[in-house]
This record gives sequence, C-alpha cells and structure tokens, in this order.
Amino acid sequence: MSIENIGTCGWSVFFCLLAPALLNAQTAPQILEKHCAGCHGVSRMSGLDLRTREGALKGGTRGASVVPGNPAASLLLKAIAKTGDLQMPPGKNSVSTLDVEVIRKWIEDGAPWQAANTQGEPSWWSFKKLKPAESKSIDAFVNAKLSEKGLRPLPKADKRTLIRRLYFDLHGLPAPTEEIERFANDTDPQAWPKLVDQLLASPRYGERWGRHWLDVVRYADTGGFETDIYFPNAWRYRDYVISSLNGDKPYNRFVQEQIAGDELWPDDLALTGGFDPSKEKLDHLAAKVATGVYTIGPVYHEAALQGDQIRYEWLTDVVDTTGEAFLGVSLGCSRCHDHKFDPITRRDYHAMMAVFAASEEREVPAVTQFSIFGFKSGYPGYLHVEDLKAAIHKIEMTARQRVVDRVRARFSKDVLDAQAIPTAKRNAEQLALAAQLEKAMTEAGLQENAQGKEPDISYTTAETAERERLIYELGQASLKANPVLETATVLSHAEPVPEVYLTSRGDWRVKGDRIAPAVPAVIASGTTIDENPLTRRKALANWLTQPDHPLTARVFVNRIWNWHFGRGLVGTPNDFGRQGEEPTHPELLDSLAAGFVADGWSIKKLQRKILLSDTYQRSSGPDELNAKIDAGNRYLWRFNRQRLDAETLRDSVLSVSGALNLKMGGRPAIPPLTKEESAGLWAKNQWPESLDPAEHARRSVYLYVKRSFPYPMFSTFDSPDPAQSCSRRDSTTVAPQALTLMNSEFMSAQSRQLARRAEKQPDPIDTLWRIALGRSASAEELAKAKRFLSNSSLDKLALVLLNMNEFLYVD
Amino acid sequence: MWTKHTTVVTDRRQFLTQSALGFGVLAASSLLPAATMANPLAAKKPHFAAKGKAVIFLFMHGGPSHIDTFDPKPALVKLNGQPAPPSFGKADFQFTRMDRVPLMASPRVFKKRGQSGLEISDLFEHTAQHADDLTVIRSCHHDGFTHVTGQSWMNTGWARVGRPSVGSWVVYGLGSETDNLPAYVVMLDGGIKEGAPAYGSGFLPAAYQGTVLRTEGPPILNVNRPAGLSENEQKRMFDLLQDLNEEHRVPRADDSELAARIASYELAFKMQMSVPGVADITKESAATRKLYGLDQPITAEFGTQCLMARRLVESGVRFVQLYSGGKKGSEVGWDAHNECDQNHQFMAAKVDKPIAGLLADLKSRGLLDSTVVLWGGDFGRTPFTDGAESGGGNRNGRDHNPYGFSVWLAGGGSKGGRVIGATDDIGLRAQEDKVTMHDLHASLLHLLGMDHKRLTYFYQGRDFRLTDVHGENNLGRRLLA
Repeated sequence: MSIENIGTCGWSVFFCLLAPALLNAQTAPQILEKHCAGCHGVSRMSGLDLRTREGALKGGTRGASVVPGNPAASLLLKAIAKTGDLQMPPGKNSVSTLDVEVIRKWIEDGAPWQAANTQGEPSWWSFKKLKPAESKSIDAFVNAKLSEKGLRPLPKADKRTLIRRLYFDLHGLPAPTEEIERFANDTDPQAWPKLVDQLLASPRYGERWGRHWLDVVRYADTGGFETDIYFPNAWRYRDYVISSLNGDKPYNRFVQEQIAGDELWPDDLALTGGFDPSKEKLDHLAAKVATGVYTIGPVYHEAALQGDQIRYEWLTDVVDTTGEAFLGVSLGCSRCHDHKFDPITRRDYHAMMAVFAASEEREVPAVTQFSIFGFKSGYPGYLHVEDLKAAIHKIEMTARQRVVDRVRARFSKDVLDAQAIPTAKRNAEQLALAAQLEKAMTEAGLQENAQGKEPDISYTTAETAERERLIYELGQASLKANPVLETATVLSHAEPVPEVYLTSRGDWRVKGDRIAPAVPAVIASGTTIDENPLTRRKALANWLTQPDHPLTARVFVNRIWNWHFGRGLVGTPNDFGRQGEEPTHPELLDSLAAGFVADGWSIKKLQRKILLSDTYQRSSGPDELNAKIDAGNRYLWRFNRQRLDAETLRDSVLSVSGALNLKMGGRPAIPPLTKEESAGLWAKNQWPESLDPAEHARRSVYLYVKRSFPYPMFSTFDSPDPAQSCSRRDSTTVAPQALTLMNSEFMSAQSRQLARRAEKQPDPIDTLWRIALGRSASAEELAKAKRFLSNSSLDKLALVLLNMNEFLYVD
Repeated sequence: MWTKHTTVVTDRRQFLTQSALGFGVLAASSLLPAATMANPLAAKKPHFAAKGKAVIFLFMHGGPSHIDTFDPKPALVKLNGQPAPPSFGKADFQFTRMDRVPLMASPRVFKKRGQSGLEISDLFEHTAQHADDLTVIRSCHHDGFTHVTGQSWMNTGWARVGRPSVGSWVVYGLGSETDNLPAYVVMLDGGIKEGAPAYGSGFLPAAYQGTVLRTEGPPILNVNRPAGLSENEQKRMFDLLQDLNEEHRVPRADDSELAARIASYELAFKMQMSVPGVADITKESAATRKLYGLDQPITAEFGTQCLMARRLVESGVRFVQLYSGGKKGSEVGWDAHNECDQNHQFMAAKVDKPIAGLLADLKSRGLLDSTVVLWGGDFGRTPFTDGAESGGGNRNGRDHNPYGFSVWLAGGGSKGGRVIGATDDIGLRAQEDKVTMHDLHASLLHLLGMDHKRLTYFYQGRDFRLTDVHGENNLGRRLLA
C-alpha cells in the first residue's frame, strides 16, 4: 500500500496528520491521539472526535471540548486532569501531569493545530527506521539517565552473588559449590568475562534461553481443548530452538528459518545418497523444522467444525503469533476491526493471513531415502502386527456378540424387525418398538450410558487361550517390526491455493473483498509481496530481517534485556505499539539494536555486552534515597531481585538433590502425577508417564507441555498458558506455592536425596547450606540448625532449606 | 489438578500483628513498605446494597435437556415421530441434521408445583418442592453447540476458551470474606471438557482463580502434611523456616515480595489447619446428612458436594461451583446422545435430592437470602432425536441445543415461583424475552449488588467486562421485584 491510498485505512488518516515530534515533549495533538483517539476518533464516542481541531472545538454530546484561550472553560482539560465528574481516560490510565500541562498551555495559546506530517516517516518511535549504533557503552547511557534523574547507581554486587546470579540467569541452575569457591578466589581481572564466556558456551545455556523463546512462541506438545490432540513432532521444533541458541545462530537467520525455512533453503533429505546426509542437508532440514513453529498452536478439534473454519482459526493463530513474536505488535484486535490504537487495519491483518494462506502443514521424512527404503523393506512385519491385532479383535467381537444375542433373544420378531429399519424410515409404532431394544442394549452397557457401564463380556476357555497366545505373539511381532518412520512436521504449500477474503468481526463465513498478501502498510516502507504462493513467506522473512527494519531488532534486543533484568527497556515486550509502554532508555535500546545488527545479529555477543556492563553487575540492595525517586527501579540504579520461575525452581531442586538428568532432546519426558493431581485429567491415557524413572528427572524444558493440563507444579508457579504468546511471566506469591514446596511428594523425595548427599560429608549441616544456598551457614544458623536437629531429621532440615526465600530469590 | 491458585497472602500488617503462630520477631521488625501492595482479596463494597453475598453454581456437565425437566412442550406429543415442520427453520447441531430425524416428545410427566404452579417434570420431584423459590429462565440461548464452547459461554461469557470465569469476576468485584479458605472453590466429579479454564481467571490476576476442592483424599492439592510428619515436627520446621527467612529479609527490608512470601507461609499453614475442618462433614447431624441424601449410594456423591457447598458459604467462601456429570471412566454425564430418558432418570436421581436438601438447609439457616443458587449446564438438548447413525441407528437420544434452553436460580433475594421467557412450541429456540449468557451474568451480578457495566478490568489497552458490551436484558430488578 502506498502513501497515496493510506487514506483508505481509517486509522492511518490520523496517523499522517500527526505533528512532527518535538525533541522531548509531545505536542497536544499527539497527546490527544495517544490517550483519546481510541474512542474519540473514528468511533466518535459521545459524538466527540479529537482527531482534528474542528472536532475538538465542536465537542460532543456534552458540548464544546476545547475553548481556545480559556483552559478553565475547556471540558477536555477538566476531564484529563480528572478533577471533576467526567474523568478521562476511564480506568487506570491517566494522562501524565506533564502532558496535562502541555494541553493547558496549548489551550491558552489558542489551540493551534500544527501542520500535518507529510514526509511519510511514521511518528511513533518504534515504527521509525533503525539508525546506526552510537559508540557509547551501555553504562554510559544508563548512568547519564541516572544522573539526570538524581539517582546514584549501587556498587557492584559481591562475587558470590554475581556467580549465583549468572548461573541462574544463563543456565537456569544454581552455581555448583566448587565453581563458586573457584570464582570467589579468582583474582584474575578477566575472571568475570571468562566466566561469562564459559557459561555462554555450555549446552545448559540453550536449554534455559530456549525456554524463554518457547514462551514467546506459545510452545506446547498438544493442541488443547477437549481432545487435546498430540503433536508427535513438536519436540523437534523445541530441540531446534535449543540447538540454534547454543550454536549462536544469527537472529536474522533464526527468524528467516521459522517463517520461511522451506522457501529460502528448499531441499529434500530424501535426495541424499547413503544414510548420512551432509551437514548442509541437515541444516536445510533444520530450517524446515523451524517452520514447525506454525504447527504447534492451539487446535480446536470438534466434529462439527468445517474445513474453512479450521483454516481460518489456524491463520488467526499464525498471524497473531507472528505479530507478537517477531514484530512485537499485537495484531489480534485487527482481525475484527481496524485497530483502535495502532495504525493496523483489518485489511493489514487479512493481508498477513494471505501471506500464510498458501501454506499448510505437512509431515516430511526426517531421514534419508535409504532409511525410507529400509523402513519399507521391513513393512511386511507391520502387516503381521496388524493381522494379529485383527485376530484378537475378532475374538473379542465374537464374545461381545453373545451379549448382544442374549439381549436380542428377549424380544419379539416385531421389535427386531423394527430395529432393522433405518431410523429416518421408521414410523411412530416402529420407533416405539425399536426403542425397547435400544434401551435394553444401553442397559447392558452395549451403548454409551450415564452409568459408564461396560458389557459383561466373558470368553470361553478356548477363546481365552487363543487370545492370550495371540497377544504374546503380537508382542513378539511388535518387537521385530521396524521402528516408526521418523518425520518432521513442517510448513509446505497448499494446492490449490486458498484465497483470503476480508471477514467481518472475526466471522469466517462473512466474505468481503479478496485480499492480496502484504505486510502492514504503515511499516512496509515500500515492501510488496508477490502473489507467487511459493515465495510469500520468503518475502515476509526477508522484509522482517532487513537491517534497518524498525521493529525486528528493537523487539528482540528488548526481549533479551527483559530476560536478563526481569524488565525490558520497553516494559511490554510483545507490544511496541501505542498501547505498549514507551522505552525508559530509547537511545540505549536503539543503539543496542543497531549494534546487534552490525554484529551479525549475534545473540551471544549482545548478551556478553550486557553481562559485562556495570549495570548488570550492580547490587540488588536497598537504597532509601534512590527508592524515593524511582522505587520501581525503572532507571536501573540496582539489579532487580527475581524469583526463580517454575522450570528453574524444579531444575534447581533436582540439581541440589543430585537427581537432575542432563540428557538432552528427544520426545517429551512425562513425569508421574499423584492421584490427586491426576483427578482433573479428562482422559487418563493422555498422560502416559515415562516408564524409565530417569526420565522423570529431566530438565523442565523437556517435560510434556499439555495444553489442557499444565503440569501442576509449574502452573502453581506461574508458568504461562500456551494459548498465546507470553513475553513476560507473572510472579505471584500465593499460599498454594507454600503448600507445594512444604507438602508435595516431589519435594519430600528431593529433600531426602539432598540429605543423603549431605550426610556423607564431614559437616552435613554446612554441606546442606553450601549445596542449596551456595554459602556456608553462619554460626547463628548452625546453632539453629543443631537445635532443630535435636528432635528432627536432616531430611526435614533439607526441606526447610529448599523452602527458604534465599533459595527461591536471586539477588 | 490444574489450578494456578487463588489464595494470596492476606494483608501483611494484619498478618504481622495477628499471626496465629505469633512471630514476634516479624511484628517487631515492622518497616514493611509492603502496605503498598494491596491485598487483591480484601472484601469490597458492592456497587449498591444487595441481599446476595455468595453464589452456589450447580453445573450439569454435558447439557441437561430442558424439554424433559423445566420446559414442558405439549405440542411435541402431537408431533412425536414426525420431522420438525419447516416453519421451525434450520440450524447447525453437533451431529444431527434436523431434516433427517424425527421429533421426540418427552416421556416425563410435568406437574404444576407449589403455590405458584411452576411446571417441573417428575425428574425433579424433590427440587420441585421448592418451586416457589425458583425462577426458571426458559429463554436462554447462545451459539456454542459443542461442549467446550457451551461451557465456555456459560462459565465465561465468551465462546473461545480463556476469558475470566464468572466466579473470578465475582471475587474480583467483592473480594473474600474469609482469609483461611479460598474465596472461589470448585468441586469436580471427574474431568470437565472445558478443562481448567472453566474456573480460570483469564486475564484477571491468578488470585481470582478457582481452587479445586476434593471430597475424598486431601481436599486441596498438597494441603495435607506429608505422610509420617507430625504436626509438631512440621511446626518446628515452619518456625525454623520463618526464622531463617526473616534473617534473610531484614537486610532486604525494602522488598515487599519477601515479606509477602513469608506471609504466604502463614496463610498456607492456616489453610492447612482449617480446610480439613471445613471439609469434614462427619460432624453434621444424621438428619442433615439424610437431608442431602448422604445415606443413599446414588445421592451420596453429589450430596456430599452440596453439603460441603453450604459449609463453605457459611464459612465465608464467595463462589462455589459444583459439577455433576464429569468424566471418571466411560460415563457420559448429562450428555444424553443415547437413551436420553434413561440417562436423565439416572443423572437426576443423583442430584435431585441433594439439590432439594441444599435449598432446604440454606433456607432453614437463613442463608438462602444471601446465597444465589444457580442451576444450568452447557446448553439444552434437541427436541428431535440424535442423528448419529452409527452403532445401531437412533438411540432415543438428544443432541446439543444451544438455541433455547433453561436455567433456574433461587435465593439472593429473588422472588421465585416464576418463569421468565419461553422457547418456541417444540423447544428448539428461545422465542420470548430472550436471555443471552451476558444477560444471565448481568442478572447474577445484580443480585450481588454489582452493576455489570461498572465491573471492569483494564487489560491490553481497554476496559473489559464479564458482559462484553452486552447484557441489555439484565433481569436483576425483575428477579427481585
């Protein structure tokens, strides 16, 4: 869409009318646009339109909104100052005192409406193109802001605090005791950079940071809702993410692969000679696996759904996820109506749908042609398995038929005849007759019933023997049959290519204009997407990863910052639009983003830069003076103390108990549920606990993520609902967390193991402290522990330690 | 269980001074700027004075047939076995094409009940004794003809799963009257199709989420001490923990979260002490137990839930939801695709006496005025037979019908003995005085003293309501008049 016809999109009209931003303060029209135009714009709520001077002067149902030169008589001012009955905007959001002053001054000055911006450069900060990086360091930016605000940065944290912080941050695991000692006693001035490099190079890093990304792309192993369909290959995408991060795959490539790996690096593993594909082939397969991100969203599966509807729901998830994860803009609202607050229109939304409409999910071999040949040569083994199953089934059906016959024998020929007539053709009398038989069948458990009764099937001696023999043979045959052909679930192309039509209010049946693929007009900056169904996603991926793309690098750099500090430079990492927060350090964010692109989009280089800064290494301690100015630490005068997230907590408990199994990758590990936990499962066979107990101690990132049934310990500790992208987890403090940590079977078992570890050492109490908290017990603590042990056990002491705030919070 | 749970720390100041376990050390150390963290469950005033303080929501999982229970359709007797006349139009159903199946009259007998003459079928003989307290809304409707959408409409006012549930909104609006029990309790009798989101808090804070309470085993997940741990020993662990935590907190006194977490252990301990007491119904008199049908195997399960509901409401719990018809094995609950009459006889036998007992008990204790009892399910059922042809033809069942169905409510100051709205002659669609789920929710909030338009939560840039932008047919005033 070009600048000329932007006017067809309601919100963009206003967007272009904006006055150019002053250096710091916003102009009155900008303030009105930001706070008011959502309702008092195209929607003209209460008849008021604050998009133009005329509209503001004219006012709405309550009369004139602005009286030029007379702030006291201007309803607008009263409303936004929230001094009278009418308080705007409603709810928690308020216009800042500073902005209210700007409006007052503006009305005093006669309410001049500044000339429209006709340059085509968007006025909203995050939609502006990225400019080259400045050469200033992170600390220079942050410290400048601190002194501007009258804040004093806290000193560096001590070395023990730092290494503990770094381990939790980069690995999601507590620092090993001996590592803490080594680092604490290392006088090398390069000790910290060395430690950072060492931790970034560990495979544990990808597991921890992969989990962060999995939050963003709403990862799960099942589709949710009642049937909660299983995704057999979702784990390949999870492993792809972990290995990409471990290998420091450039972020632009990471984005390209997920959106269009198949279109950018078309390849076919099957065309490989031999059993061992080349690295290039495997990389291309990985790029395809990356598109699996679009095959793991929520799937609503009901018999009554229509194909078009399923597709529409899929495209909705795809566009929403793309918007939130890669663009950092919530597009969801625009499915149903032009976005009230952002210049994203319903057409933009459907144009994004059209980008993906030419695609669909497909299973492709994850092995070479030779393995496929091998699989097929062993296929007759499967036929035998299937035959055995059929033979067993036949015996079961024969026995069942005897129950049916017994019921039927109780009825007259009239009834049996009536029942033989298809339902729709029975007359009233036949219906009544057939009903008798059907009722009896239900009572015998032969049809579904309220009581859950099953038919009383019994086998003859011969049947029992034969059935058992066949079941044994089935076991033997299954053991000999070839393993299942390994596949990956990826995006491919639809044939024929479905068209996308403008829908209304999210109703897939209401079809308006046909919509061609495109990127959102306001940030397209000339990019168009060809109709060619084989290259639509490729065009989107290339546009997103242009070095000066306004959003991609900014959004990702902010995510990284958010995960390190617990809060992003933009507090709303998934919303860089107008409903999101504005950055606390805009120049720092832009400089980091530009530097990130210039460094070849290397995630680890970016993180190294952050981790080596003083800003990251500050103490998390209190400071009364600073707190008076900036209690929320928005300006980073200290480090934010953070509670371990759900997965880190579980992994840390397993780590200190010594039980943690560091095996990487593969299909999800399924831990046991207690009887109470499993009470709410819809169908018990949907939680097939892993048989090997070692699997139960795998790292949390490898556990089964079931949409309809989150692992109870995780949901208690605020794991996100994978219904949609999550950019920042809640960290609530609720009593059931205490109950879980004090009373659950898992915690009892792990604390026992931890006690067993400690009791082998010469000083068990001190050992407990060192393993669990990374430090020696103080004399006072020792005394308390000894007093406690006089009538309790080391197991219980271990459990107490695992419940300590010090265990759960990272300074 | 799924709950990301509800009970947040109580007001810290209060905890510090009134702690059951008396941690003088905490009270002395004061200096908690934690007061800035408001307690999300503090009791709040309603928008206007109202009798209703609590809700007991009886959810018939699977969808009970209105035609066989609370909405008599004599016209169906004449049309029995015939296709629906074309004048009733077409509609989508989960399995059935309505042009291929015959209408099926209810084999149940409807009688006029009480002074009011409210018509209720013989499936609910016991409940019918309270007809004069019941308002039956016969014109409910939504568009979700599958369980998940139907349950989601009923529980959250939205067809797609994930919005905050009614109970979460109610607790958000009114807070809690108890600090040692969860404010919002759910009792399941098996798996429910909507899953945890049925009692989830959606975008509201997790503090407003429903807590699953069990009638067997530990009432709340992990609320029981680990096996082999005595109360005394756990008390010693607890004392040591709080002592160590306090030492950790003092140099970090500005961090209110640490204090909050210490307080959450206090609350956990209180819950651990009080929940088993509330859940223990053995101390109820034999007469009361009999009233709820605890002496009969068929009614014992739901009766226990109903009795527990009364005990919870009595102890200050704001919102209790009970399910009948959840999945444990191969039961289908109220989802009578097959042999509807036989199914409903069985299901009604399980709940009828307990519901009547609950109403009688609430009334005799003076609690019915302050407690709204709401009965409903995913949707109603079709006036024609189910269309699934597999497995031996028509099995005298009924398919899901979201286009017209009944719910009833009692208590909370509502007048009772009345019918609101009507379906068409065959019970297919709501026809008169139609009531959407938004209207129903608006009405429920009204009985609790809340204006559904003023109960808002700011999220993703706008104020959200339980009733979206609807709720025009708010029955609140009519229910009370």
